[in-house]
Amino acid sequence: MAYGATGKILRVDLTRASITVEEFDQEFYRLYPGGKALAAFLLLREIKPRVDPLGPDNVLVLVNGLITGAPLSTATRFTAAAKSPLTGGYGESEAGGFWGPELKLAGFEAIVITGCAQEPVYLWVKDAQARIRDARHLWGQEPAQAQSAIRQELGDKLIRVLQIGAGGENKVRFAALTNDLRHFNGRTGMGAVMGSKNLKAIAVRGTGRYLDLAHDPQALAELGRTLAKRVKEHPQSWDLQDKGTPGLVSGLNAAGIFPTRNFRQGAFEGVDKLKWEMYQKELLTARRSCYACAVRCKREVAIDGRASEYGGPEYEAIGGFGANCGIDDLQAVAKANELCGRHTLDAISTSATVAFAMECFEHGLIGLKDTDGVELRFGNVQAMLWLVDKIAHRQGLGNLMAEGSRRAAEVIGGDAHLFAMQVKGQELPMHDPRGKVGVGFSYAISETGAEHLSAYHDTAIANPNSVTFKGAAPLGISEALPPRELSSKKVAAYALLENWSSLGKVVGFCYFGPAPRSFISIDETVSAVRAATGWDVSLEDLLRIGERATNLARVFNIREGFSRKDDTLPDRLFAPLENGALAGVALPRAEFEQAMTELYVVKGWDPDTARPTRQRLAALGIEWAADLM
Amino acid sequence: MHLHLGGHLNWYDPHKRPWLTIPLVEPVALVELLGRLQVPPGQVALTVVNGRLVSLDDARVSDGDRVELYPPMGGGSR
Repeated sequence: MAYGATGKILRVDLTRASITVEEFDQEFYRLYPGGKALAAFLLLREIKPRVDPLGPDNVLVLVNGLITGAPLSTATRFTAAAKSPLTGGYGESEAGGFWGPELKLAGFEAIVITGCAQEPVYLWVKDAQARIRDARHLWGQEPAQAQSAIRQELGDKLIRVLQIGAGGENKVRFAALTNDLRHFNGRTGMGAVMGSKNLKAIAVRGTGRYLDLAHDPQALAELGRTLAKRVKEHPQSWDLQDKGTPGLVSGLNAAGIFPTRNFRQGAFEGVDKLKWEMYQKELLTARRSCYACAVRCKREVAIDGRASEYGGPEYEAIGGFGANCGIDDLQAVAKANELCGRHTLDAISTSATVAFAMECFEHGLIGLKDTDGVELRFGNVQAMLWLVDKIAHRQGLGNLMAEGSRRAAEVIGGDAHLFAMQVKGQELPMHDPRGKVGVGFSYAISETGAEHLSAYHDTAIANPNSVTFKGAAPLGISEALPPRELSSKKVAAYALLENWSSLGKVVGFCYFGPAPRSFISIDETVSAVRAATGWDVSLEDLLRIGERATNLARVFNIREGFSRKDDTLPDRLFAPLENGALAGVALPRAEFEQAMTELYVVKGWDPDTARPTRQRLAALGIEWAADLM
Repeated sequence: MHLHLGGHLNWYDPHKRPWLTIPLVEPVALVELLGRLQVPPGQVALTVVNGRLVSLDDARVSDGDRVELYPPMGGGSR
């Protein structure tokens, strides 16, 4: 009976150059139904404690979401996971695009990659078959050239290529993976793990039909048509299509939470040059889509009149390379973003590390002798572009910064650690918890380090009459709560929003698909899972799946030695913002810590150790994981 | 006055305009103006008049003012 999955995991041992297929049954999949849940399970099963994340004993897994590949807008995501070289803990990052759906149509839910190849190789997967191929001629090539070369030598223009560029080859600790040149598993350094295995790329071609795997293909197809039609009729999805994430710049700046000059400030005097209106005028050439998605939130851009092959900057890159580096030049932002695409670097960690280096320079902790004479100051476009390139190639100061801001601060010494805006070693995205405290919970508690997609943001539930609040209501959130309210009610709402967001990462919906962020109602999300699988699941069941995935990832971190002291925030967030609408506002430390304690209790975790209790793990059907801690 | 419908708020404008120029002969309550424009006040989280954050319910605007409105997800609220 079809239940939405192929039941197959491709196993690739690069040391032995062997390929096998593991099969699982429906009972197993109900417990770990793809994406983050299956990835966390596989990491716990495959990786021994305390292995070197850049050594052959680390394991890289690529896992499709439960409905990835369904003909539903935003059902495109797959998870890349491994022990993170940036944090030393659970590493994970989701990407959209086309690669995940292609893998599904080739017959696999996941690929597990172990060991290390002696020479550079790539993996070629076609319709249930896989081969390891020589990639010595591709190593050192930029993604655009490597993708063309792979498609040419395999004789198929429709092949989807997931790969690394220089950042991954050079094991930059925040290197990304890219598919179709424009879609990134950006966070936690999965590109460095792939590079450490001498694996350049995974090329995939599948000719299967998703609907043959679905329990109720008719219902799924009908829902797909309904959603495609609704995109323009719903203000949030329409807005994502119209402006994409660059549309966030103006509002966040007005709210005083547009990170500026390494999070010292919340409003940027040069914001008019970074706004959507300017993007549209200066950069935009077209809108693009992920697989089967009618939202089309991706941007195509021209830089200095030349079409970029690596897609346009998202909000995170505009904030990161713009205001947070003190730069009011969208062309420069687009160039830095393109360097990240070309060299497969995470735009968030890269830009935040550049801002860190700029602040170190301005405080005399880095000198001109370290920068080859470059004035590495906030606002210096050439300095920013210079450092991004140096990081990708691990040259000079770039070699130190390629270690991430936390490690770099330890080497630099002095006050440098105060300027490293990171949690567990991973740099902060461009959202300031001083204006939305739930984002502070996310940054502190996320198993991957600072992460902005762990839960839907406070603003979603701030206005009782808003589209977003109404969209979140079925989760059981009955009262609107101001974004800066730190209360027991906020903690309870956060836990629900976290479980719901985690569920999205399991089933493969993009953050911009389901309510409250966008246009797919919570009921429809449940219906999609039911139609794909035939399982009689409720919303409560789905929230439990999301919670199970988070708990498995937390167990991984506990096994690696993480504890409550790691669930913290940079000191700067407990100090007042220097300007903007929230000038003078800081996160209150004692209240924040108290709220975190309450959050552990709500989650069924011991507030002293931050460990999930055996009782909670048992309730989630994973009591076995308690024995790993 | 110049009115910016930020984030998804310009979806409510029949012509999807992010910026509107509206001549005002006398000061008017912003909420009333939004009613005329069919922009639901419940969707507005942030109101900025001439660069200053104000309360939507209390705001009165005049010709020559520059007004920016943002929804919750595209900004936040105080």
